[in-house]
Amino acid sequence: MTDTSPLATSPPPPARTKSSRGVTVAVFTIATLVAVLVASIGLGARSIAPTEVISILLNPDGTGYNSHVLWTERIPRSFLGLAVGAALGGSGLIMQALTMNPLSDPGILGIEQGAAMFVVLGIVLFGLSGVSAYFWLALIGAALTSALVYLIGIRTNAGSSTIGLVLAGVAVAAVMSSLITLLVVRDQAVYSHLRFWSVGQLTGRGSILGEIAPFFVVGLLLALPLGRSLNILSLGEETARGLGVRVERSRLIGAAVAVLLCATATAAVGPVAFVGLVAAHCARMLVGADHRWSLPISMALGAILLTAADTAGRLVLDNGEVQVAVMTAAMGTPFFVWLARRKDLVRM
Amino acid sequence: MTVLDTRTVPDKTAQAAVLARLRATHRATTRRTTIAVSVLSTLVVALLVASVLLGGVGRVDPADVLPAAFGLRTGLADYMIFQIRMPRALAAMLAGALFGLSGALYQRLIRNPLATPDIVGISAGAGAGATTVFLFAPALAFGAPVAAILGSFILLGAIYALSSRRGTVDTYRLVLVGIGLSATCVAYTNYLFTVADKHSIAIAMRWMIGSVNGVDWDGVTTLTVGAVVCGLGALFLNRQLSSLSLGDELATGLGTSVSRIRVAALMLGAAAAALATSVVGPIGFVSLVSGPIAVRLVGADRAVGLSVLVGAALVLGADVLAQNAPLISPVPTGVLTALLGAPYFVWLILRHRPEASA
Repeated sequence: MTDTSPLATSPPPPARTKSSRGVTVAVFTIATLVAVLVASIGLGARSIAPTEVISILLNPDGTGYNSHVLWTERIPRSFLGLAVGAALGGSGLIMQALTMNPLSDPGILGIEQGAAMFVVLGIVLFGLSGVSAYFWLALIGAALTSALVYLIGIRTNAGSSTIGLVLAGVAVAAVMSSLITLLVVRDQAVYSHLRFWSVGQLTGRGSILGEIAPFFVVGLLLALPLGRSLNILSLGEETARGLGVRVERSRLIGAAVAVLLCATATAAVGPVAFVGLVAAHCARMLVGADHRWSLPISMALGAILLTAADTAGRLVLDNGEVQVAVMTAAMGTPFFVWLARRKDLVRM
Repeated sequence: MTVLDTRTVPDKTAQAAVLARLRATHRATTRRTTIAVSVLSTLVVALLVASVLLGGVGRVDPADVLPAAFGLRTGLADYMIFQIRMPRALAAMLAGALFGLSGALYQRLIRNPLATPDIVGISAGAGAGATTVFLFAPALAFGAPVAAILGSFILLGAIYALSSRRGTVDTYRLVLVGIGLSATCVAYTNYLFTVADKHSIAIAMRWMIGSVNGVDWDGVTTLTVGAVVCGLGALFLNRQLSSLSLGDELATGLGTSVSRIRVAALMLGAAAAALATSVVGPIGFVSLVSGPIAVRLVGADRAVGLSVLVGAALVLGADVLAQNAPLISPVPTGVLTALLGAPYFVWLILRHRPEASA
């Protein structure tokens, strides 16, 4: 539209990514994704020779302990890691686009902690169990928490709204994780059973893949077409309105999808921070600000990141493994600090 | 007040009036301070008594409580009162005092009410250091306090280095960088517990959330030494800090070595938070809220001193609640301070105007 009739005071045109660049990045990302998936299936605490891995993969109905480990543990776990990472990557990018805040991330803003708190509340007080119950609880928790954080964040007087949102997230996350502790701490059995709701991990969660997969598929499919409306929203409210977009509705849809994705991820593995933050920024660095490209790339990068972090977490210790949320925090905080040091961030 | 002081007043009667007003303000502040100090001291003593008398589970004959508190009984009363409840109550009081002191010092220096050791991760760094020693070299004499202080200094240096750009430190960037580094320290502590593979729920609660549960007399000794040393240090620095609050240039004019005093005070605050953390873990939000409460009670000039009492009352009160409140008890102390402190933090970011903070 603006190409044919440039206005005197026209806003900057929507960022466009050349499809050649997008395709190149996409090919590399998919290659990396496959590599990480192979690594995640092939590597683990129990070392299985690569040739044996291949022969087990070729004979799905084989018996033997290694076959069992591979088919019931590593493969579901790897795919769960991919799904959770993709959901967090998508959620992070949508949140950053909607809040126009480079530090938005479902974990940093405390939304995952809120979702986890509701799940624990449901388990402890109402005895709920089963992944779909977790999902609905997480969805309610994530929706309420994100509304709360957003309402606090936009009203703060803390230098800039960027920082206000993060500070609101810190406060809400502190309350939510304290409530989780309050709910689980008195009973050693409950505590050891529910501990992963305060530090996200994939250990032993592979078995829920089948139940939670539909929620991931729905969330990711709903997110993919959002690129265009996010592009228009990023032009600013007035321009978007001028282009005939119903701003409130588009924002609400975007927020709902972001919350859905992060609730699904939390219901599956507990709160995992920094994946969305890192994935979204890396995606924008690779393909630019065009959300039609950066959204799927961010999902793929989130999947790569989470699966790689999980695989690394399995290998760093001789016995036992490090929770994936600990690994992502270790990888993500340098990134967060680097962002916080950027000149344009403070005093926007 | 200071503005009035420096202004030249031409006519004598006006000068006398200003002087009289200043004296009246001064008297009023002193009166308020006396009242605040006596009320808070009474509160702390009352909470100490309540903590020892109520003290969670187990029953002790009331007649035995007082003698047992001084170590004059044997058996159950001695165990319950002298070995468990007394150290616990005293540790809560002293740790709260140290957290309060460190928070007020930081708020005074950095002039941002959010820049306190618990928010910017200095407590988390101290906790990470102390946990390392606790899990891998528990026999080391004074290992935990020393490691906690080292950890807090490392964090302080990292925050300062990472939040300065071209020689200036933006206080909000400092808070953000601190939040990021805090997450790293928490992840590291989590990692340690996974590696060590021998953590009971009580130990994890202390080092992850902060709890005065299970503190012994050695811990109380550490805290007492810490409180005395840091208190004296703060007393020594207080005068220079007052001149710092006039602005760097004026303070230099008054003969204060600005950067040296600032570094000394930052390290003192970090050490105070670290010593408290090394015994009771990173109890959150106490150093954040103590300072502003003290400022509201007696004004910015005397807040650092009063925040010691405020902090002590907060942690003691939170612990009495954590032990005895219906429905929720017993929970780690840090859970209650977070539940009470985080809403206050929200209120602070909602109303705070950056210009009005100093």
